Amino acid sequence: MSNGTEFYFYEDRVEARGMDIRLLRRLLSYLVPHKGLIALALGGLLLGTACQLAGPYILKLVIDRNVTPRVLDGMAGRILLYLAALAGAMGFLYLQMFSVSLIGQRVILHIRTEMFGRLQRLPVSFFDRTPTGRLMTRLTSDVEALQELISSGLVSTVGDVALLAGTASVLLWMDARLALVVFAVLPALVLFVELLKRFIREANREKRRKLARINAYLQEHVSGVAVVKAFVQEEKSVRGFDARNEEYCAESIRLTNFYSVYFPGVELFASVAVALLLWQGGIRVIAGAVTFGTLVAFLEYAQKFYNPIKDMSDKYNILQAALASSERIFHILDMEVSPEYGPVPSGGEEDAGAVDAWGAGGARRAGPPAIEFRDVWFSYPKGGGEERGMVLRGVSFALLEGETGAIVGATGAGKTTILNLLCRFYEISRGEIRLFGRDVREIPRGELRGMISLVLQDPFLFSGTIRENVEAGGAAIDRAVEVAGVARFSAAWDGGLITQVGERGGRLSVGQRQLVSFARALARDPKILILDEATSSVDPVTEHELQSALAKILSGRTSLVVAHRLSTILSADRIIVMHRGKVRETGTHQELLAARGIYHRLFTLQFAGR
Amino acid sequence: MTREAIDGISAPGGRARVVRAVSWMVLFAALHGGFRYFGRRGMLVNASRVEMRLRRDLLFHVIRLPLAFFGRTPTGDVMSRLTNDVSAVWLFLGPGLLILAGTAISYVLALFFMARISVMLTLVSLALAPVVVITSREYGRAFHRYHRKAQESLAAMNAALQENIAGIRLVKAYGLEGQEEKRFHRACREYYRQNVSVSKTSAAFHGAIGLLAGTGVALVLLLGAWLVIRGRLTLGGFVAFNAYLAMLSFPTMALGWVINLFQRGGSAMGRINEFLGIPAEPREPSLFPPRKVPDAPFLEVSDLSFAYEGQDRGEALRGITFSLRKGEIAGLVGQTGSGKTTLFSLLLRLYPVPPGTVFLEGRDVSAIPLDEVRRAVSLVSQDPFLFSDTILANIGFGRDVPDEEDARRAASMARFLAEIEEMPGGMHAVIGERGISLSGGQKQRATIARALCAGGELLLLDDALSAVDSETEQEIFREILSVRGGRTVLFSTHRMASLSRCDRILVLEGGRIVEEGTHDLLLSRAGAYFDLYSRQLLVRELEAAP
Repeated sequence: MSNGTEFYFYEDRVEARGMDIRLLRRLLSYLVPHKGLIALALGGLLLGTACQLAGPYILKLVIDRNVTPRVLDGMAGRILLYLAALAGAMGFLYLQMFSVSLIGQRVILHIRTEMFGRLQRLPVSFFDRTPTGRLMTRLTSDVEALQELISSGLVSTVGDVALLAGTASVLLWMDARLALVVFAVLPALVLFVELLKRFIREANREKRRKLARINAYLQEHVSGVAVVKAFVQEEKSVRGFDARNEEYCAESIRLTNFYSVYFPGVELFASVAVALLLWQGGIRVIAGAVTFGTLVAFLEYAQKFYNPIKDMSDKYNILQAALASSERIFHILDMEVSPEYGPVPSGGEEDAGAVDAWGAGGARRAGPPAIEFRDVWFSYPKGGGEERGMVLRGVSFALLEGETGAIVGATGAGKTTILNLLCRFYEISRGEIRLFGRDVREIPRGELRGMISLVLQDPFLFSGTIRENVEAGGAAIDRAVEVAGVARFSAAWDGGLITQVGERGGRLSVGQRQLVSFARALARDPKILILDEATSSVDPVTEHELQSALAKILSGRTSLVVAHRLSTILSADRIIVMHRGKVRETGTHQELLAARGIYHRLFTLQFAGR
Repeated sequence: MTREAIDGISAPGGRARVVRAVSWMVLFAALHGGFRYFGRRGMLVNASRVEMRLRRDLLFHVIRLPLAFFGRTPTGDVMSRLTNDVSAVWLFLGPGLLILAGTAISYVLALFFMARISVMLTLVSLALAPVVVITSREYGRAFHRYHRKAQESLAAMNAALQENIAGIRLVKAYGLEGQEEKRFHRACREYYRQNVSVSKTSAAFHGAIGLLAGTGVALVLLLGAWLVIRGRLTLGGFVAFNAYLAMLSFPTMALGWVINLFQRGGSAMGRINEFLGIPAEPREPSLFPPRKVPDAPFLEVSDLSFAYEGQDRGEALRGITFSLRKGEIAGLVGQTGSGKTTLFSLLLRLYPVPPGTVFLEGRDVSAIPLDEVRRAVSLVSQDPFLFSDTILANIGFGRDVPDEEDARRAASMARFLAEIEEMPGGMHAVIGERGISLSGGQKQRATIARALCAGGELLLLDDALSAVDSETEQEIFREILSVRGGRTVLFSTHRMASLSRCDRILVLEGGRIVEEGTHDLLLSRAGAYFDLYSRQLLVRELEAAP
C-alpha cells in the first residue's frame, strides 16, 4: 500500500513565547541585502498613504467651494485632482505590494537554500533520529510563516501606523472637536475586537487541531485499508471517523458563531461612529462651526481609520507565529555540521606502524593495507531517548589492495555498521580506521568520497534519467553501463539510457535498480568498493545477471561486501565472520576451513547432505 | 437616513430632524447587524453540516473500494480528495453562497434607494460595474492558474527535498552535496518565480480595481455635484448616494471571487464524483449462496493463477493447487517475491479471485458474501500495521465491540499480555505517535493477538514473527497448536524450527509450488527446501554461537 508518498499533519507544538529581540534582529539581518527594494516599498507606502489621505480632503474642497456655494468654477479641476490622487494611490499601492512580496520571496529563497545546504552537511545520525516529516515542515511551513511576516507583517504594519497617524493628524487639523468624536468610539471598538479575537483565535486553533486529527485519522485508515478490509471493519472505521468529523463540524460551527457576532458587530460600531459624527457634526454645521465639506470628509476618513485597528491583533499573531518558526529554522541553521566537513586535522602522514601491524611475521608486502580497522569501538549516537549499547566491540581486520572481503554474520552482528563507518557517516568511539595507511579522519572529505563507491542494500535512485543517475557516480559512464549490464536492458527501451527512472527509481524493477546502482558505483572507477548485498530476491534471469555483473565488478578491485549469497561468500579473498559486534574469525576460505571454527562448521553443514 | 440628517442640517429647524434621523440610523444598523448575524450563521452552519456529510460519505465509499484501487492511486491523491476537495466544496457552499446572497440583497436594496435619489446618477454609477465583475473574474482565473502552478512547483520542491533526505547516505557517499544543492535551488527558484507571478497579478488587480471603483466615484461626484448645483438634487441625497455606492463596491468585487469559488467548487465536486463513481468491492450475497459440502477439505485451492493488474511483471501465482483438512497446520516457504503474500491476500479475497479456484468447505469463495469470507479467515500480515488507539481497541479490532476478556486471552496466547500489564494504563494504553511506541516484536505480537481475537477458522501468518526471537516464536506456536481443534493454520516463516512441527510444508518458487511434504520427507529429497534449510542453519549457527 505504501507508495512513498507521505503526508504530514504535524501541529506546531511550539506556541510563540512573546518577543525575542535577538531573534527579531537576526531575522531583520536577512532584509539587509534588499535595502533598495525596502526603500522602494516604504516610499511607495508613504506616498500611497499621502495620496489616499488627499482624496477625502479634495472631496471637502469640492463640497465647500463648489456644491455649497453652487459654483461650477474649478470643479472639474478638483475632480481631476481627485482622480490623480486616486491613480497615485493605486500606482503606489501596486509598487508597494509588489516590492514587498518580492522581498519576502527573495528572503525565503535565500533561507531555504541556506537551510538545505546546512542539511546536506549534518551528520547521518541527525537524519536517523529526525523524522522526515519534521524536516519537511521546517523547510516548508516554517519558512512560509516567515514569508507571511515579511509580506503582510512588517511593511504593512509600518503602512498601518502611517495611515493611522496621517488620518489622525488630518482630522485633528481640520477640526479637533469632531476628531475627538471619531476617536471616542475607538476604545470600545478596540475592546470589542480584542475580546472576540481572543475567542476566535482560540476557536481557530481548536478547529485546526480537530482538522489535523481528522486528517491523521484519514491518513491512517487509508494507509491501513488492507487491515480494515481483512477484518471487515469498514463500518467501524467510518464510525470512528464520524466522531472526529462531528467534533470538527461542531468546532467550525462555534467559530462561525463567533464570526457571526464579530463582523456585524464591527460594522455596527462603524455605523454608530457615523451616527455620532452626523449628530455632533450636524449640530456644529448648523451652528456654523464647521463647513459641510469638512463633515463629509470626516465621514470618509472615519472609514480609513477602522480597518487598520481591526487588523492590529492579526498582525501581532503573525509576528508571534513567525518568531516561533524562525526559532526552529535557526535551530537547524545553527546545528553543527558533521566533522568531515570541517578542516582536516594536521598530520595525515603515512603511518609506518600500519605496515608492521599487518606484516607480522616479517613478510612485508608493498604498501599498507587498503582497509584496516584497528580495535574499533562504536555505538550509535543516542536518539529518541533510546539507550543503545556498543555495536562494535574492538573490531580489527585488514584488507589488502585488490582483495575482496566478505562480511558474514547474523542480523545485528554489526555488518552494515562497518560499511557506515568506512564512509565516515559516524564518528567512532575508540580505535582507528585506516585507508591505505591514513586515518579516515585525516583524509579530506572530497578525497575520501572520491576513493569510495557505495552500493546500498536498498538500491536507491534519484529521479531523473538512468544516465544522470550513473553520472552522479563519476565520468566513466559507458564502461560502467556495459560492465554492470545496464546497457543490455536499457537498449531495449526507446529512451535507452535517457529513460526516466521515476521518483526513487520506482519505474524500474528491483533488479534493474540494483544494476543501475552497480553502474553508478563503477562510474568513478573507485579505489574501494563498498557493497551491502541486497537480500530481496528477483527472478532467476535477473539474479543470474546480477551475479555475473557482481563477479565482474569485484574481480581485482578492493572491495568490502556484506554478503548474503553463498556464491559471493565463496568467491571472496577474505572472509570476516562477525558476531555480536566482534570479529570472530577472519581469513580466506581455505584458512577458515583449516581453522575448524565457526566457518568450518557452517561449511560442512552446508554440504552435509550431498 | 444619512440623507435625512444631512438635509436636516441645511434645513431650518434641522436640529430635531438630525437627532431623529441619527436615532433611526442606529436602530437600523442594529437591525441590520441582527439580520446579518442570523443569515450568516444559518448559511455557514448548514454548509459545515453538508461538508461533514460529504466527507463521511466519501470515506464510506472509498474504504469499500477494492484494494487494487489503493495500489494504483497514490495515498496523497486519496487524501487530497478527502480533504482539499471537500473543503473547496464547502468554500463555495458556505462563504461563496453567503456572499452571493449578500451581494444580491445589497444590490436590490441599494439600487432601489439609489434610484429613488436619482435615476440618472444610478445609471452612471452602474456603468462601470460589468467591468469590475469581469476584471475580478479574470483575476480570479489568473490567480487560480498561477496559484496552481505555484502549488505544483511547491510539490516538486517537496519531492526533491524528500528524495534528498531519503537518499542522504548516497548524497554523502558520492559527494553529491553541491549537485543536490543546485537541484534544490532550481526547484526553489521555480517556486519563487511562480509566487512572484501570483503576487504580480494580485498587486495589479488590487491597483486596477481601486482605480476602477475610484473612477466610478469620481464620475458620480462630477455629475452629482453638478446636479446639486443645478438644484436637482439635495446635498443630503448627494452624500447618501455616495454612501450607497460605497456599500456596493465590496459586493461587486466579491462577485468575481464568488464566480471563481463556484468554478473551483465545481471541479472539486467533479473529482469527488470520480471516486464515488468507481464501483466498490462486490460484497452482496448472491441469490443462492453455495452450501457447505460435508466431506470437502476445509480449504481447497485448485489451479489458481493470478497476475496483478496493470503491472507487467507477469503472473505472481501460477497453477497453485493444494488443500488443507480442518485443523491442519501447514507451512509455506519460499524466498521473498515467490508469491507467498499474494497467495495469502487471495485467500482473503483482497484481490478478485478467479471463480472455481479457491474453495472454503467446498464453497467457491467468489460466490460467498465477501464479509463472510473475511470473517472466516484471519490474516497476520508481514507489515505489523496498528492504529493509534488503545491496545484493547487494536487487539479487539476484528470484533464489533472489543471484549477485554477475549483480548486478554488472545494477548496471552500471543505472549504479549505480561508486557501490556507493565505499561501504564495496561490494555487501555494508547499506542502510536502520541502514545507508547512499541518495538517491532511487540507490534508483531499485537497483530497476532488481533488475529486470534478475531477468531477466524483459518489463520494465516505471513512471516508474522520475524522480529520475535525464536524461543518466543516456538511458545506462540505451541499455544496456537494447543487449540488446534478448530483452527486451520497456514503460515510462512524463515525459521526452520517452526516448520518441523507442521503437518505439511509447501515450497513456493516463482509463483509455483515446487515441493510439498513433511519436513523430513523434503529434507531427504535434498531439493529446494533443503537449500533453504541449509541457509537457515548457517544463520542459526551464527546466532547460537557464544
